[in-house]
Amino acid sequence: MFVKEMVKQSLPLLILCGLGAVVAGSILGLMNAPDPESNLFIRIPGLIVVIPAIIAMRGNISSAFGSRLGSAYHLGVIDVDNLWNKELNENIFGSFVLSLLTSTFIGILAYITSFILGVYPNPFLIISIVVVSGLISGIVLNILTIGIIYIVFKRGYDPDNITGPALATFGDIITILCIYTSILLLGGLI
Amino acid sequence: MIYNWKKIVKTGFPILTFAVLIEIFAGSILQNNQNIIFVFPIFLLSIPVLNSVSGNIGIILGARLASGLHVGYITAKVDDKRMHENLFTAIVLGLVTYTILAIIIYFGAVFSNLNKGIELTEFVGIFVSTGFLLICLVALSSIFAAFISFKRGLDPDDMVAPVVTTVGDILGISFLFLMISIFGVGI
Repeated sequence: MFVKEMVKQSLPLLILCGLGAVVAGSILGLMNAPDPESNLFIRIPGLIVVIPAIIAMRGNISSAFGSRLGSAYHLGVIDVDNLWNKELNENIFGSFVLSLLTSTFIGILAYITSFILGVYPNPFLIISIVVVSGLISGIVLNILTIGIIYIVFKRGYDPDNITGPALATFGDIITILCIYTSILLLGGLI
Repeated sequence: MIYNWKKIVKTGFPILTFAVLIEIFAGSILQNNQNIIFVFPIFLLSIPVLNSVSGNIGIILGARLASGLHVGYITAKVDDKRMHENLFTAIVLGLVTYTILAIIIYFGAVFSNLNKGIELTEFVGIFVSTGFLLICLVALSSIFAAFISFKRGLDPDDMVAPVVTTVGDILGISFLFLMISIFGVGI
């Protein structure tokens, strides 16, 4: 029974998330332009190295957030009528602090890795791209997470089957867009 | 009060640090294969999809195990029946999802003129075999992470996602380039 329930609730969302990942991949494709002049990975050495790290950080923090809220729901700590409480605030603040710490760490690590790989990027640019895109995507995703959780509760689904995939996917698209945006914002520095 | 932001940061940060270190390594593999990606953009499109599906299934599995462990209807043992049902479903779910998405990506790429010289069967073969290897290892690491963290008194909800997505990203990128060379694309 539960195999059927799990497949029924998860498969459509998994396919949808996969399609979302295609969108995410296409944005990477835009950055990987065939013309070397406008290919961001060629213009900004070291950029392709930090991309998996930024995406992973974002996905990890928001999925853990969603997963914790799933358990909180099973434990009866939060529900649709009692969503915005102290427990939720602690979760929001915790994930925000994690975003800030980890973004800074990735930035510094990217700077060090660039020397090991023999690529010599502008360290200030790489660190700014990571921190700016990490923070913007963090704020956007925290808001989105609470929205998704609210809808999932309203519909009476098991949050464990829904929030993880939904967050990871929206997270990927939003994060790649934020990386792109912060490159455009910081473009004057290239 | 069950949750405390300091505890969330304390549990999350060390594993995130570790995850980020491995992801930088995954990024280096991408850097080294930048030529294949440049010549066959269809594989750049595939990477987020491979990683996203394996990550999602690993997270679903982990979240289900975490809730089960918290409430007590799953025990952290190798022969737990509900755990095996969950593992089996995860692998089936993965194979079905990867096959459907492989076909969609291929025709999407053909439609948008991104595909150069790769047959449908060849692409589906590379994609689904990468996906199958990936989903098996990701599901096992999900179970492993959930059980170990639960036994150590840590919240599995904080541990599973980083472990699963990190393992998935590095293995997804590695298996993809492995399968590309086994199938002999680009040589």
